[in-house]
Amino acid sequence: MFDLQSIRPGRRALLLASVFGAIANGAKAQTASPRRGGTMVMLVHPEPSTLAAYAVSAGNIPPVTTQIYEGLLTYDWDLKPAPLLAKSWEISPDGKTITFRLQEGVTFHNGQPFTSADVQYSFMEIAKKVNPNGPVILAELTSIDTPDPLTAVFNLANPAPYLMVSLSANYIPIVCKSVFEGTQPMQNPSANRPIGTGPFKFAEWSRGQFIRLDRNDRYWKPGLPMLNRIIARFIPDASTRSAALEAGEAHYAAYSAVNAADIRRLQANPILDSTTRGYGMTAALTTLEFNTRRPNLAKKEVRQAIAYAIDRQFLVDNVLYGFAKPATGPLSSVFATQGFYTDQVRRFDVPDRIEIANRLMDEAGFPRGADGKRMSLYLEINSFGEQWLRQGEYIKQALAQIGIDLTLRSEDTATWLRRCYTDYDFDINEPFYSAGADPVVGVHRHYVSSAIRRGTTFVNNKDYRNPELDRIMDAATRENDHAKRAELYHQAQQILVEDSPGAWLCEVQYVTIFNRKLHDHTGPLGAYQALDRAWLER
Amino acid sequence: MRRWRYFGYRLLLAVPVIFGILVLNFFLIRLAPGDAASVLAGESGAATPEYTELLRQKFGLDRPMPEQFIAYITAALRFDLGFSFRNDSPVLDLILERLGPTLLLMSTAFTMALALGTLLGLLAAVARNTWRDAAISVATLICYATPGFWLGLMLIVVFSLTLGWLPTSGFENIAEGYEGWERVQDIALHLVMPAMALGLFYLALYTRVMRASMLEQTGMDYVVTARAKGQTETRIMFGHMLRNAFLPVLTMAGVQAGNLIGGSIVVETVFGWPGVGTLAFTALQSRDLNLLLGIFFISACIVVAINLIVELLYVLLDPRIQA
Repeated sequence: MFDLQSIRPGRRALLLASVFGAIANGAKAQTASPRRGGTMVMLVHPEPSTLAAYAVSAGNIPPVTTQIYEGLLTYDWDLKPAPLLAKSWEISPDGKTITFRLQEGVTFHNGQPFTSADVQYSFMEIAKKVNPNGPVILAELTSIDTPDPLTAVFNLANPAPYLMVSLSANYIPIVCKSVFEGTQPMQNPSANRPIGTGPFKFAEWSRGQFIRLDRNDRYWKPGLPMLNRIIARFIPDASTRSAALEAGEAHYAAYSAVNAADIRRLQANPILDSTTRGYGMTAALTTLEFNTRRPNLAKKEVRQAIAYAIDRQFLVDNVLYGFAKPATGPLSSVFATQGFYTDQVRRFDVPDRIEIANRLMDEAGFPRGADGKRMSLYLEINSFGEQWLRQGEYIKQALAQIGIDLTLRSEDTATWLRRCYTDYDFDINEPFYSAGADPVVGVHRHYVSSAIRRGTTFVNNKDYRNPELDRIMDAATRENDHAKRAELYHQAQQILVEDSPGAWLCEVQYVTIFNRKLHDHTGPLGAYQALDRAWLER
Repeated sequence: MRRWRYFGYRLLLAVPVIFGILVLNFFLIRLAPGDAASVLAGESGAATPEYTELLRQKFGLDRPMPEQFIAYITAALRFDLGFSFRNDSPVLDLILERLGPTLLLMSTAFTMALALGTLLGLLAAVARNTWRDAAISVATLICYATPGFWLGLMLIVVFSLTLGWLPTSGFENIAEGYEGWERVQDIALHLVMPAMALGLFYLALYTRVMRASMLEQTGMDYVVTARAKGQTETRIMFGHMLRNAFLPVLTMAGVQAGNLIGGSIVVETVFGWPGVGTLAFTALQSRDLNLLLGIFFISACIVVAINLIVELLYVLLDPRIQA
């Protein structure tokens, strides 16, 4: 799903949270005691096109479907695996066998008991075949044995260190085998009437208005969920979404649901509060992509000069309203906790960056013309929201300082995607990507040469080919030793920043706005996690 | 009898018009680059070309255009508007589900604009060059110049956030689950602001047209005659002038029924109103061509129907208009 965020960059990126904790952390005084019942209203934007979370990974689907479907695992605040449908697991020393013991007494919403056969089917027949993340996350998974109904043994061809961080419901939901068997997964009736094991059951979808979820009275966690009902409301206009929160009509808005420009105002509202927690697995970046097929951009010096010319702090302060942090390279500093991140790379935020940039342009053989211009380029404006146009306007001015005449081109989503990922008819593109829980999930495909796939969106459209980087990333995919793996990622960041096939602008964090009457709503996975403990004060 | 023959003739004329719209839409819409499969695949992030091709086959986008065209037209003639793959639902169902709210919104806005506009125009004309006339003119000018979406947002700020009288958005309060009469009241409350945002522009327009039209009639011979006959001013106005003065307003209203559908896209988006407008907007963004064509078709039918009604009203108001 994180990929999907790459798709909806606009709205999301807006909501970056201040890395310095400028935002209240939602640590409110818990005076009231938990109360059962009530209907919670959350804002989801845009309205999902489908609820087939097992086959479509758009980022607006999991806030709804993670209430219904559960994954084998969930993650704690350190993003370490925690039990859910699997209550324990063992990984063999060679990393090639993972044995999961499953939770007993779990039933699907249709009354069928949950067994290891459902796990096997969900992975081998559904996730591997129709989930867009399947080919990456499950590349090494060869088979699943089911020695008994409550044991599932995963057999891998090679160690896959990223697998254990990608088993939550937002990546790989566990579906009911008997519902799917003998049908086309994409055409299954449960695509839009999902049947899972989660705390809430699908009740109704009124297109253009809302999705209603009702309490699962037979949920396997005793005493949960607290709420009777969850309503996901869809309001197309950003200002109206903010107004619905201010008026108390909606209780919860995560990710893209409110405009960054509105966040400060909403935070000042006495009935509302905000938190930046729950986004640890997104690791999102705003970036530029350079089409190295273009002779001008084939020169490394030109690409580096562009990276030098941009003042990232300006973007943080003025385009992202302070809810962000300057980026240093292709990995977000969120990965520092795992040791993957390094800032020991070529730094573009030096005081004399404009002089360096101009010198690089001269060296590359692009002297200023009579009008002071060295070259003209196009920037393709990301179609997901106004933020991207603002960013483009700044970049146009920044590049003018080094003699690049930039023209901004705004097109609608379909046209933009086609131009940048199928026709390759672009100079510079300004997309957005989320690394997800592991670089393998969301970062590799932007840079390795095997991911140059015409017609596939959000992959290596830059025609960047570096055998050395390919080798390092390939090794990092299989390396079971954590320290060695971290070292490989440090090397990869140094190579990428030096080559600059793209420029990395800002690290994006998000803000969740919620009504103070709503409690216990934000877990480690934020909006991509079941609201089984959430409760509403009267 | 002749009246009905005229009406039937008009009805017959509508058939080629609608067919022309069908054909034109089909080809125009395909001029836009990108298709539903690429958008859907794009939203999945890392979709493979095989996945995109799979979608394309499923949507029938891989077949030659003439084949797609013939399939579309024959299906449309049976009123089968195809299937929206993105929404996983037949197009007709999707549109019918949304048509009710849109028709409710349009008819409320339209009726309000027409009734109040006529009334205000009349008042302004009667009190020409007084403070009342001036006040109405200023008010209408403001309404006329204000964009609908801004008006909508301001209404939300005033009536929902500041005063707390009306709900900000939506069609009804789902969390409460009202039924029966309570539900009707609830929907009516939700309807107030969208209808105002959509209707005020037209209200202003009709007021101005009505005022001008009334003033034009004042100097007409038949008015002088009526006055010479000794009729009261009230009777002259309501018995004679009103009917004549109303014709230009009606013409305007008929022509603008189409605009009302366009305007409803903006207003529905602002208020989260679950109508055809928002459906059209999302369908366009996601290149859901079947759905978009279906909406164009239904909208065209509505416009043609409204124009027919207007023509019928002409004949009733002014018996001289008969071919």
